[in-house]
Amino acid sequence: MQQVGSPASGEKYHFLIRRLHSATGLVPVGIFLCIHLVTNATVLLPGDPGYEFQKSVERIHALGPLLVPVEIIGIFVPLLFHSLLGVQIILTGKSNAQQYRYGSNIRYTLQRTTGFIAFAFILYHVWQVHWFGKPVGGGQFSLHDEAGNPAGAATTAAAIQAAWWIAPIYAIGVVSTVYHLANGIWTSLITWGITIRPKSQKTAGYICAAFGVVLTLIGLGALSGFRTLSIDSEDVHTKNTTHTVSRHVP
Amino acid sequence: MAKTIPVKIKRQDTPHDGSRWETFDVPYESGMNVTTVLQRIAANPMTAEQQSSTPVAYDACCLEEICGACTMVINGRVRQACSALVDDLLQEQADSIELQPMTKFPVVRDLVVNRQPMFNSLSKVKAWVRVDGYHDMGSGPRVSEATQEEAYPLSRCMTCGCCVEACPQFNDHSPFIGPAAISQAILFNSHPTGAVDREDRLAVLSDAGGIADCGNSQNCVKVCPKEIPLTDSIAKAGRDTTLYKIRQWFGR
Repeated sequence: MQQVGSPASGEKYHFLIRRLHSATGLVPVGIFLCIHLVTNATVLLPGDPGYEFQKSVERIHALGPLLVPVEIIGIFVPLLFHSLLGVQIILTGKSNAQQYRYGSNIRYTLQRTTGFIAFAFILYHVWQVHWFGKPVGGGQFSLHDEAGNPAGAATTAAAIQAAWWIAPIYAIGVVSTVYHLANGIWTSLITWGITIRPKSQKTAGYICAAFGVVLTLIGLGALSGFRTLSIDSEDVHTKNTTHTVSRHVP
Repeated sequence: MAKTIPVKIKRQDTPHDGSRWETFDVPYESGMNVTTVLQRIAANPMTAEQQSSTPVAYDACCLEEICGACTMVINGRVRQACSALVDDLLQEQADSIELQPMTKFPVVRDLVVNRQPMFNSLSKVKAWVRVDGYHDMGSGPRVSEATQEEAYPLSRCMTCGCCVEACPQFNDHSPFIGPAAISQAILFNSHPTGAVDREDRLAVLSDAGGIADCGNSQNCVKVCPKEIPLTDSIAKAGRDTTLYKIRQWFGR
């Protein structure tokens, strides 16, 4: 057993690695999450159902052959680094929120719980939106569906989320991920020494909470947007018109 | 018949023995604190089951929340036995009082723990002002009133262990040195003479077990009996180590 409170020296890059953990959570991963959820939420925009979403996805795919390298270097590598190191950090803590029920202590425990959920959810999500995700209720997300209708991205996204049990998984995943980012911004402001006084930390807390609420609404809104998109299979197969996708109001 | 309070105590005979719980019925006296309770048990070490037992070992020294020696976990919350008044405890939890030693330190006996890890951390961060000798060096450097006002609250730390006891990041599988040592490093860095060792302190704070291992649960500041702004010190340590590392990596 290690002696309590004795710094294990020799870990030369400990500080750098922990600061990179904080930075990767914010800059590539956090910003990506915002862009991702906002892009998804364009499915809610008025007009032809799925049309705005299609345009948003096309803008992303305009990167062409650069898209995959950008995804790997800009998203997957920082995300994996943040997640795996995060699991290691979780293991260094011993939560005591049952004993000391302070708001900040509950947030500390939630940050670790949601980090874990977010990691599991993202692994599932990435698996689920590819052709090899069919066994887990998913399928291939694509810019164009097989019928070649003009809002193919929206129909494939809707099809992937069609099973009833996907909705709660996605809702929990989105809420956990957004909480982890919003609370992570709050703690990173302390980590980097930007908010020092309790007063500035409190103000930052309100701002982060507001950010979290808005991003949660955007994320959940996008999910409901895809769920209310009905894919008229007959139309898809018979005539390639703009009316193959419609919105049904539950 | 006078009112008695059941006092449940976690006991351990030696550092190597297992622990057990014993309950003592202590006659209530108005205004008594937990130290008084332990004195009454020592005077008559008879358990609630009328079994003869031994006096419960405990530390106590100043009896006015200045030394930190009597720190223990009382009704699930870490605090000093001397300033824990029985009347208040019965308000929190009406039926009984539960005492156990701090969980983050090795138990010596019963409620006595060895707080040496706290002191080791203090020496690691050089929590002192270095003097070259005992000869007269004249008056010290002027300290502005603003700096004094920042420093005074930090100087109240009595190394009692409350902050590390409540800290989820301070445990046997984490190298974290804890809030008290970080705050003392910030205190002595703010002192004009103490600042001679500033870089050494920042080197320790930016090493493994330093500031990067804080998880921002902020329990430390809430349980601190001296109301030390520990989270201010932690955030300052975050800022100072960031700038220190930038200076290190890019040359000063």
